This record gives sequence, structure tokens and C-alpha cells, in this order.
Amino acid sequence: MLKSLDPRVNRLAIPDDFEAPMAAKEQLDQFETYQSFTQTKEGKPFEHAGTVHAPNEEMAFLFAKEQFSRRGTFCYALCVVKTELILVSEFTDNGQDVYDTFKGNYSGDTSQSFEVFHLLKRGKNHKHIGTVEAKNFEDALLASKETYPRDKPVFNVWIAKSEDILMSDEEDADIWNTLKEKKYRDAMDYKAADRIKAFKAEQG
Amino acid sequence: MYGGGNVFESMKATALAEEDPIKLAEFEARIDRGEKIEPSDWMPQLYRKQLIRMIEQHGHSEIIGALPEGTWITRAPGFKRKLALMAKVQDEVGHAQLLYSAAETLGKPREQQLEDLISGKSKYSNIFNYPAFTWADSCFISWLVDAGAIVNQIANSKGSYGPYCRALERICAEESFHLKYGHHCVIHLATGTKTQREMMQAAVNRWWAPMMHFFGPSDKISVHSEILMRWKVKMASNDECRQQFLDMYVPKIWELGLTIPDENLMKNEATGEWEFSEPDWEEFKRVINGDGPCNKERIAVRRMAEERGRWVRQALLAPKAKYVTPLA
Repeated sequence: MLKSLDPRVNRLAIPDDFEAPMAAKEQLDQFETYQSFTQTKEGKPFEHAGTVHAPNEEMAFLFAKEQFSRRGTFCYALCVVKTELILVSEFTDNGQDVYDTFKGNYSGDTSQSFEVFHLLKRGKNHKHIGTVEAKNFEDALLASKETYPRDKPVFNVWIAKSEDILMSDEEDADIWNTLKEKKYRDAMDYKAADRIKAFKAEQG
Repeated sequence: MYGGGNVFESMKATALAEEDPIKLAEFEARIDRGEKIEPSDWMPQLYRKQLIRMIEQHGHSEIIGALPEGTWITRAPGFKRKLALMAKVQDEVGHAQLLYSAAETLGKPREQQLEDLISGKSKYSNIFNYPAFTWADSCFISWLVDAGAIVNQIANSKGSYGPYCRALERICAEESFHLKYGHHCVIHLATGTKTQREMMQAAVNRWWAPMMHFFGPSDKISVHSEILMRWKVKMASNDECRQQFLDMYVPKIWELGLTIPDENLMKNEATGEWEFSEPDWEEFKRVINGDGPCNKERIAVRRMAEERGRWVRQALLAPKAKYVTPLA
């Protein structure tokens, strides 16, 4: 049995011959991916926070909450959407607005609602810019082109159907509150300058 | 937390000659302008490979690094220290998730990365192949190993790959708590009773050599290419990071009345550089290749978690689910 300093490892009772090759994993031993967006303050736009892997939307939301709201200052509201349900435009660079590459005219059809996210600087996060109504994803890009005046170039656009987004409920705002009590997670809570000073004084 | 001394893939001189020269020129021009590379941009194969390897090693280091510290959660002195250490370990595992996702955007699925860690194909930061004997070892890790990692991560966060930069930005923000917490722990031991001071000093003595190894071999003997610097994959050399670490932390260790077990360690005031005994790079190589005190245990624990968690993953499998690469 593998001997460790760690009592938890000893309790695992890992046999010595544990190095035999592991059985191959099944193809689907890999969860779907979801994109998470957080709002850091009331009224501020949602911003892309990152990816979580989860077996379904509800668990994706929980994982995203653990991952992206561990500190009270980081999160006011949260939403997740399955990656495969997001339309991603081409990327542009060097001051070229990606909207210039979209040809055609917006249909004016308002049958579905879409959320639009813009990348305003390469390397930064996509930001939620607003909601448009259109007949499909391509049409939503054109609607967005018409709706939002741009003084700065946009390098990439993400579009998701509003109905595909799982959003935290305002009524459940309490779920973020407990974090404020967790001061021990903040660097601010670890002041020890006085202790060093006293120690130095004592040493002469 | 993660050190330098990345194990980069050996590079063939012909690797670049096979790339499309026009696309390569555009790619390099974008980096020269200071614009980040995003996942669906064209990139040279070499850039993709080295980045996957670097980000993946970083992710594995977060996971494996949580093991020696996790050991001490139940035995940390007092409720507050337990809470803080638990929060820190949770952060580290969260960092691994962020990093695995960043590496996934380059085309290597997370499951594949986890498998390569368990099979020993991928490396992780060598320092975690050493055991944490006492609570003071855990304090040393929280303060100084994290400090070393921050030196590295801040350099890397100015690199050229967008998803890695975004992950590092988030990670660095959380690391500031780790650093302060770790420093707080060390201060309390070093300014405490005689027994506490001795315990802290013993930890410094044990961890100093692995800490010097942490930044990787000296630039004189390390084989990393100028091209990785030009493409902003590697942002600072191993020696630069080591110097910066010594500059920031040796005075802070000394002011606590602790000594560092290297009689040649001193700052050369004329050059502004720290001088020290040459670390034992043979030992570094031996440990990184599997023959350290904890290599076997670290991998076995990861693998056990994977095997024993199989039924949970099975229970959650959705037959129609489709894996899609993360976007950013």
C-alpha cells in the first residue's frame, strides 16, 4: 500500500501496483461546455467570465457561481448559455470593424429576441451590448449593425437567443449576499505590519 | 501557482519553413502591434503546440499544488486558518479549470489533458513533488511558492494569447489573497515562540533548494528559443524571474529573523544582481523525470480520484451531449 504523510491519502488505501494502465475512457466522458457572463454591479453590462463544463444548464449555473463569484465584489448577477448555441462572427484586427464585413439588410422581422456581445479589444472580455429582435442569427447581426452606433471598431460579435440564456433571478439576489461575510478570502484581512514592527523593536 | 522551467517541445529548424509565409508575417505583425491572438486566428503550429503545453502544465500545477496544502486543512491551527486554507485550495483548483479551458481553445479537450496528467505524459511544477512535513511547510508554500508563481504569472499575463491572458488576470487577482495570507502565517510563526520559530526555520531550510529550482534551469543551460520570446509565449527568462523573486522576498524573509540556507546568497550592489550557489540541476532533472519523494503519490491520488469518480460521471452522462470547444 502506498504510504503517505497525508492521513487522507493513507485512508485511500492505494495499492502499490497502481501504475497499471487505466482503462480507456468513454468518448462522452466529457461534459458539454457553457459560457458564463457576470455583472459586477447593478446597471453595468454583463461581461464574459469564462467557460464551465457541466452535464446540464442548472449545473453549469452552479459551477459558474462557484467559479466566478467566489468573491462578493466580483458578482452581482450571473448567466450561462450553452457554447454550441452561440453564433461567433469572424475576428478582425488592426482597427477594422467586423460589422463592415456583414453584407445585406436587416429584415425588420421581430419574431425572435437575441442578445449581442461585443469584443472591443483583443485580449479583453466580450461585453453585453444589448438585445435585438430579428428572424434568425444572421439577421440579428444585421439588426445589431443597424441598432448600435459604433465610434470604436468591434473585433468580434457573439449572438445568442435570449431564450437560451439561463439568468440568475433578481428575487434570488440573496445567493450573492453571504459572500460579503467572507472577509478571510480577501487580502485586506491579513494585516501584520504591527507584528513585524514589534518583533523588530524587540530584537533591537 | 506555477513556476518557470517549462518543458517546451524540442523544435525542428524546419518547423517554420513549412508555414505559409504570408500568414506568418500577418501573425507576427499582429503581435508586434501589441494585439492579442484569439482562438480562431491563424497561428503557426509551433505556437499552438508550445502554448498548449505551457498552459496545460500550468493547469496541472494548480491541481497537484493543491495536494500538499490540502493535507493541512484539517490540521491547520484554529478555525480561521482552516477557513482560509480551504478557500485558497478551492481557488487553486478553480484556477486549473480556467487554465484547462484556455488550453482547450487551442484544440486539446480537457479530458485529454486530465488523462495526460495521470499517464505522466504531461508535467507539472516540480516543487510539488516534495512533501509538506509540518504546518510551517504549508505556510512556506502559501507565501513563497505562491510569490514565485505570481512573479511568473504577472510576466505571462502580458503574453500574446488572449484566452491565457484573461485567465491569468483573474488568477492574479485571487493570488493576492494567497500571498497576504501566506505572509501572515509565516509572520506569526517567525515572531512566535521558540518552537514556532524553529519549525518555520526548518521549513525554510527544506524548501529553499526546490524554491530555487522552481524558476527552471539557468538561461545559460536552458534550451528555450528566441522565437518563443518574439511570439510572446515566454515573457521573461528563468533567471529574470528568479532575480525578481529574490529581490522582492529575500529582504522580507531576513526581516523576520529567518536565515536562508545558502552562505553565498548576497546582492551584488555593483551589478544589482543576486548571487547564490548554483542549484543542483541534476537533482532537478532527476525529480522532474519521476524520481522525487512524492511523484508517485501525487499521480496515484489524481488517478484514484478519476477512477473512483467514474460512477459519478457515468451517472451524469447525457447521450445526446456534444462537446464544443470553449470560445475564449
